[in-house]
Amino acid sequence: MLELKNISKIFPGVKALDDVSLSFQKGEIHALMGENGAGKSTLIKIITGIYHPDMGGVYLDGKKVEMRSYRDAVEHEISMVSQEIQIIPDATVAENIVLDRIDKFRKGIRVDWKAINQTAKVYLDMVGLSISPEEKIQHLTAAQKQLIQIAKALSAQAQYILLDEPTSSLTTYESNNLIRLVKDLKKKGVGVIFVSHKIEEVLDLCDVVSVLRDGKYVGTKSCKGITRQEIVKMMIGREEEAEHMGFLDIGDEVVLEVKHAVAYGKTRDISFQLKKGEILGFYGLVGSGRTELARVITGIDKLDSGEVLVRGQKAHIHSVQDSMEKYRIGYVTENRKEEGLILDFSVGDNLTITVWSQILDKFRKIQTSEEKKIVSFMVDKMKVKTPTAETKVGSLSGGNQQKVSIGKWLAANCDILIIDEPTVGVDVGAKKYIHELICSLAKEEGKSIILISSDMPEMITLARRILVFKDQKVVGEIDGLNDKEHSYEEVSMEIGKLMA
Amino acid sequence: MDKRKTSGGIKKLLARSEMTVILAVLVLGMIFSVFSSSFLTSYNLFNMSRTAAIYIFIALGQAAVVIVGGMNLALGYMGGLTVVITGYTMEIMGFPAVVSVIAGLLVGVATGLVNGIIITKLKLNSFVATLATSFIYTGLINGISQGNPYNEIPDGFTVIGRGGFLGIPYLLWLAVVVLIVLAYFFRFTVTGRRYLATGGNQEAARLSGVNTDKMVILANVASGVFAAIAGILWISRTGSAQPSTGGDWMVTSFAVAVIGGTLLKGGVFNSVGVFFASFLIVMVRNGLVMLQANVYFEQAYLGLILLLAVSLDSIKQIISERRLKKELKDQYSKAG
Repeated sequence: MLELKNISKIFPGVKALDDVSLSFQKGEIHALMGENGAGKSTLIKIITGIYHPDMGGVYLDGKKVEMRSYRDAVEHEISMVSQEIQIIPDATVAENIVLDRIDKFRKGIRVDWKAINQTAKVYLDMVGLSISPEEKIQHLTAAQKQLIQIAKALSAQAQYILLDEPTSSLTTYESNNLIRLVKDLKKKGVGVIFVSHKIEEVLDLCDVVSVLRDGKYVGTKSCKGITRQEIVKMMIGREEEAEHMGFLDIGDEVVLEVKHAVAYGKTRDISFQLKKGEILGFYGLVGSGRTELARVITGIDKLDSGEVLVRGQKAHIHSVQDSMEKYRIGYVTENRKEEGLILDFSVGDNLTITVWSQILDKFRKIQTSEEKKIVSFMVDKMKVKTPTAETKVGSLSGGNQQKVSIGKWLAANCDILIIDEPTVGVDVGAKKYIHELICSLAKEEGKSIILISSDMPEMITLARRILVFKDQKVVGEIDGLNDKEHSYEEVSMEIGKLMA
Repeated sequence: MDKRKTSGGIKKLLARSEMTVILAVLVLGMIFSVFSSSFLTSYNLFNMSRTAAIYIFIALGQAAVVIVGGMNLALGYMGGLTVVITGYTMEIMGFPAVVSVIAGLLVGVATGLVNGIIITKLKLNSFVATLATSFIYTGLINGISQGNPYNEIPDGFTVIGRGGFLGIPYLLWLAVVVLIVLAYFFRFTVTGRRYLATGGNQEAARLSGVNTDKMVILANVASGVFAAIAGILWISRTGSAQPSTGGDWMVTSFAVAVIGGTLLKGGVFNSVGVFFASFLIVMVRNGLVMLQANVYFEQAYLGLILLLAVSLDSIKQIISERRLKKELKDQYSKAG
């Protein structure tokens, strides 16, 4: 039995885990769930020795284990399968599988490659991978890499395997294979800890589910007889629902039209129209073509064929500068920290980066007074909670960073906004505010908005028409959401049907 | 009330990033003038200022690309090639000095452009790109000059390098003007702001409508131009165009730029910091000679100073993180 007793972990400014006690059995598939920021990833890192708990400890069969690194966890027969555990792309499959114990495969001072390859083959068979042990990792698909990590865990004689969002980047077929393998592991008596966002998957596969919320342990329930709604309630602390935000005044004018957009490897023949004052939803999984389409429209990536019409005119968008200055289209990226903001720069600089060229005096000098006006206007309008305009944007909370990330496009006067996963990593209060903001941008200011999200309640709360993306295509459309109130269940069922 | 205000003001002033280097210059200056009577003489100060001014240009050559998150390992050889071309066109081809200077500056533009285009179009990182071109430029220097210096430099040419105004060398005046222009450029022009933003986070800048490739090319051309200016001023200062010029610029360029507050991760430039950092390096070299320290160890002292300068911020950060963590832990355990 793997037990966590009274674990607390503090990071500067937050208590990521607060007195969490949990136990995992061998031969059991145990789901670990919780919203973003609930403490799941911190907990996983503590179980695998990457973090050290500030209070409490990890116990294996009643004995306390001190782990200082992931290596220690492997020594204690605990392994993790995750994107965070790097596999070395230039090394072979076999090398990666035995990497932790490569020093044990020796013939004198020489590495015994033959033994390594033979050992690797055994574990490759076990996970059902029919590839050569000498294949280079970089030629493999995401699903194959995951199976290799599992093979690696098995070869380390892992008694407990943590799977961190294992199906998030897999196709349906690949996920089914993986799920079969996980069931096999259970039969072999391995304890599987399964971290996932997908409630259906968890209900289908796991024996028990434990939920964390705001760094605290909420409870553990058997997966037999528990409903989706009950799990969600444990995760968010209340009933899941789509809030009704009132109807939009959608115009007849088509502000953006995309015809047969093709970008090789990213989108396959996608067409749609966006009307003035509308909030159009793009729903789908990561990699389904929704973000890819947004990047093509805004000139970040190249469109290989098809055309984009903005306000009825054929548009030629080759860079973000074109999209912003010529067509007033703004793209709020899903990766706020990497692509949306310059974290070491001030709130002010991040808000005005899009408008510097529009506030010049006759000597082409940036008018700092004008700049200050824009910043204070946007900070007020977006209710950005920041000590001063000079504060580094990286020191703000996720929600306030997101307000800045949206605000810079409003400063640039964009009236078509593509907003990608606006509430990832944002706390509940800020999430509600951002929803109201997006709604009022469409309702009060007549902005036309494309909302990209994989958060179902968010999608149903905000979007008045939903395009469902799958495998780089639009597989269906749900319309009529602006005509009358629809229940959350009704719409989510319909989306689910289209996704299947 | 008033008292608190002033102490707050002083605190703020001390917190500015360039304060450390200014204080270091002052302290070091005091130490050297106590121990050596010839340190604080107008002759020595004049001489130090001439060298410091050239160091400023060398540092700007490096800072120009460090600001966009890059580096230029070919900097010294770009300066060296400028020196050779300027000397060659003057002595062998008999061009007037003005034309030769323009030819030298064009060498800076061309070599910088080559670096910039390789980095952006071939998507190479600046380390490997400039490592490769540094060999090309070295080869050109040796091939053209055959290792020979050009000594027939017109007298007029050395006025800038040797003369002064109000007791301050022309070289330093020039460096100060350039630093002021740069401070203005980065604060008040669109290009300057976009230049910094590119260094702050290239992807975020590109996704905010900044043509980041253009900024990287501009940065490399600027680097070439500053290298060329430093090279030409070096001829003017020494009265001879030596092909070996630039061979020792690499450490100096990084040392002055980094000690002057230019962050290696990009996005930051500090005119005042670069100004004082160049004096700091010159003073260390000069002061060691005055104190009759063993000059063979000079590089070791410089290395130590550089190490101290770059680790200062991260030491501060480690300390403050520990303190914060401890406070939080106490706070939580008190709260139960």
